[in-house]
Parts: sequence; structure tokens; C-alpha cells
Amino acid sequence: MESSAAKMISPSVESARLRKLQLVGILCGFGAGAWLGAAEAPTKLVKLGVSPLVVSLLMVVGVFLARWSLPALIRGTGQMRADIRQAPHLIVWGILAGCLWAVANTLTIFAIRDIGLSIAFPLWNINSLLGIFWGYLLFNELRDAGKLRWLTVLGGALLMFAGATLLAVASSAQSPAEHPLRGILAALGAGVLWGTMYVPYRKAYLTGMNPLSFIAFFTIGELGMMLTLALAYGGGPDALFHQLELATPVLFWLMLGGFVWVIGDLFQQYAAKYIGISRGIPLSNTNQLWGLLWGILVFGELRGLSTSLYAQVIGGSLLMAAGAGAIALSSVTSKEHARWKQAADREGQRYGVDSEYVQAALSGNDASKPNGLTSTKSTRTWLDWLLVIAATTIFVTLAVLARAPKMALNWPALAALAAAMLVFLFTCGIALWKTTRFN
Amino acid sequence: MKDENASPKSAGVWTMIFTDVHFWVPAMVLLAGLVVLHWIR
Repeated sequence: MESSAAKMISPSVESARLRKLQLVGILCGFGAGAWLGAAEAPTKLVKLGVSPLVVSLLMVVGVFLARWSLPALIRGTGQMRADIRQAPHLIVWGILAGCLWAVANTLTIFAIRDIGLSIAFPLWNINSLLGIFWGYLLFNELRDAGKLRWLTVLGGALLMFAGATLLAVASSAQSPAEHPLRGILAALGAGVLWGTMYVPYRKAYLTGMNPLSFIAFFTIGELGMMLTLALAYGGGPDALFHQLELATPVLFWLMLGGFVWVIGDLFQQYAAKYIGISRGIPLSNTNQLWGLLWGILVFGELRGLSTSLYAQVIGGSLLMAAGAGAIALSSVTSKEHARWKQAADREGQRYGVDSEYVQAALSGNDASKPNGLTSTKSTRTWLDWLLVIAATTIFVTLAVLARAPKMALNWPALAALAAAMLVFLFTCGIALWKTTRFN
Repeated sequence: MKDENASPKSAGVWTMIFTDVHFWVPAMVLLAGLVVLHWIR
């Protein structure tokens, strides 16, 4: 079911547009890696005596604040309402994805506690292999892509997995496992949950939903599930309140971790939208490299190890980088893109979504324009500004109350990594704005 | 004015959702994840 708007676009223009969107998707995948890698740093606070469940809950509160205020600032909540009118069924998948994230994140905190970040990280990064599987099975990704694309995507993901394992072996020298079986199960469980969480993501973006709208509903499932877990396993409301009081000095840092994670996830969602989950997830999994950089340079991990262990770390990092490079070079062919469109049409027909809306969104155009069903203005209302002001006020208040954790930090390295993140933020943000206007 | 088609349409959407493999795959994985979390915590 081809839309009239899509029919008017010549194949060469469409193919040029496709190439542009893929470049933006690849850039967003790498940007996601940088920001998601940095977001793991606050979980180190678990060792400072705060319950893992409270750590996860507080990160989710930070995520919740960011996920309602950032879309309001970038696009306005009016656009969000327009998206929901087109595909209301996707609210269910948004909430489901949020629940998956909350359980996975809690599992990672248990995994870090039991086997250490350096072993847990590569284990839960198996999510990229699962993402390729779900992308192929459920959304026609890599169909008609040719042997070379298959080889580069699958080979790249396996290279990244091998690199991640090498890094784990090297860095585990400094973090002996306390409860290996429990920790490994938690890390693998998180990988499976995160790998499957991309099913709702991809469904939403094939149907045409904007990532900025989807993440707002995601947070409802995320916060609801996390609060339920914290209450159920944390000993009830009184015990939870007591834990929150204990965590007051680190509230800001944990919520900041959630905020940083949201920016990374936002880039990850644009990557999933424009290059699919089979390519987007492995690219965002370069977060392990960034996590390692933060660990080694800022927190002084792996200090004083033997030359052979350093060689393993460098070798593992190079393998991961090579894998990511292979995937980045594996562009989507027009044949494969046609299969994506088939999957999108199937979704549109099943749920009665306007085909012009679906096609426009797939091409990163303003989905509200074709039929005039919704306003094309992206001006913010008083509600949007209220959301932004409320989130900013909460963060500033918590920052004033916060105490710096008693940890030896390498501040110049921290500043350098933060600058690299800002470079990614502006580069990805400008590319998205120029190419899609965040549509 | 009451929309007489509203309920059947809404019921239809829910039927679509509950017969969609894209719903059951993540839902089952979520359930399994909760079981693992309950066991390891």
C-alpha cells in the first residue's frame, strides 16, 4: 500500500534520503554508546551502602524527569498527543518496554554487586545478538540484504562479543566474583530483557511513532514497575522511605545517571529507527568501551596490572571497535529497505494506521503534514515550559543538597570524557535537526 | 453524542494486541525476568 506522497518521490531522491538517514542513524548509534557508557558510572555508588533497588529506583526517577522534560523542550507535548492519536495501541508497547527496562536495570545492579561491572557488562551486551535475531524474525531486517551485509553485521556483532569477553577476562583480575552463578544469571537475564526490549522500540518506529513520544510512555511502565519492585522487595513503604532518606546525599548523582542514560537512549532510539535494531544495538553497545574508559581513566580501575593484561584490554577494545566499524559500514540496501516497508505496511494495516503517516515517519519527514490531521507547529505551550522548569528545579535542588561521593577521581580525565560526550551531543543533535527536524 | 462504534472498535484493538506475537514475545520475557529477579535477589 504505497502512499501518494511516497509515489511522488523519485527513486534517486529516495535513495539519497535513505543514505542520509542511515548516516544519521550510524552517528546516533555511536553517540548512544558514549552517553550510555557514562551513565553506568553512578552504579558504583552501590558499594557505598545504598540498596540496589533504591539505586535503580532513583535512576528511574531521573529518567522519568528527563523523559518528560526533554521531549517537551525539543518538540512540545502537542506533537506527542498527535502521535498517540495516530497509533494509540503503541502505548501498550511503550509501557511494556519500560517494564522490561526496569527489571533489566535492577538485574544489572545485582550483577555488578555479585560479579563486578567488568564481567557483567559484556555478558549483558549479548543483547545485540538477540537484537539481530528479533530484527530478522519479526521485522524483516537483513532480509534480501545479501551475504556481504549478513557477514558484516553478524561478523561485526561476534567480533564485538569476542572483544567484550577479552575485556571481561582482563578486568576480572581486579574484581573477584562474590556470587558467580547468581551474578552471571543476573547479567545474562539483563541481556535477554534488553535485547527483547528493542522489539517494542522497532514496532513503534516502523509504525511511525516519534522516539520522543514513545519514550514518554515508556517511562510510565518503567517508573511503575520499578516502584512496585522497590516496594515488594524493599520491605514496604516505611523501609523504602528510610532507604531514600539514607540516600539523600547521593540522590543527585543517581538521578543524574538516569538523565545521562536518557540522552544515550534517545540516540539509541533514533539509531533503531533509521538503521534498524540489528545494526543500531551493536553500535550503541560500544558503550562498553566508554564504560571502560571511565573506569580506567576516571576511577583508576585496573591500576598496576601486568603488561599482558593491558595488552588484553587494548586487544579487546580494538576488536570491539573493529566490530562496530564493520556494522557501521554495512548499509541498508534498497531491497532490504523495501522489506522494512513491507513490515511497516503490515503493521499499519493491522492497526489501521494512516499509511501516509507511516511512510512519512519512516523517511524522517513530518508525519503530521500529509493529511493535515494534526498541527505542524512545534511551538511549546505553558505545559511544556512547566515540565522543563519543574525538572530543572528538582535537579538544581538536589544538586545543592548533594555531597560529592568519597572517591578518588581523576578530574582532568573526567573533564575530557565529558567534553567528548558534549561533542557527540551536538554532532548528533545537529545532524538529527538538519535531516529530520527530530521527526 | 455517544459513539456506538467506540466499544467494538476498542475491543477490536485489544484483540489485535493480544493476538500479536510482538506483544507476547516481550511479555513472556518480562515474566521470565521477574522470576529470575525473584530468585537471585
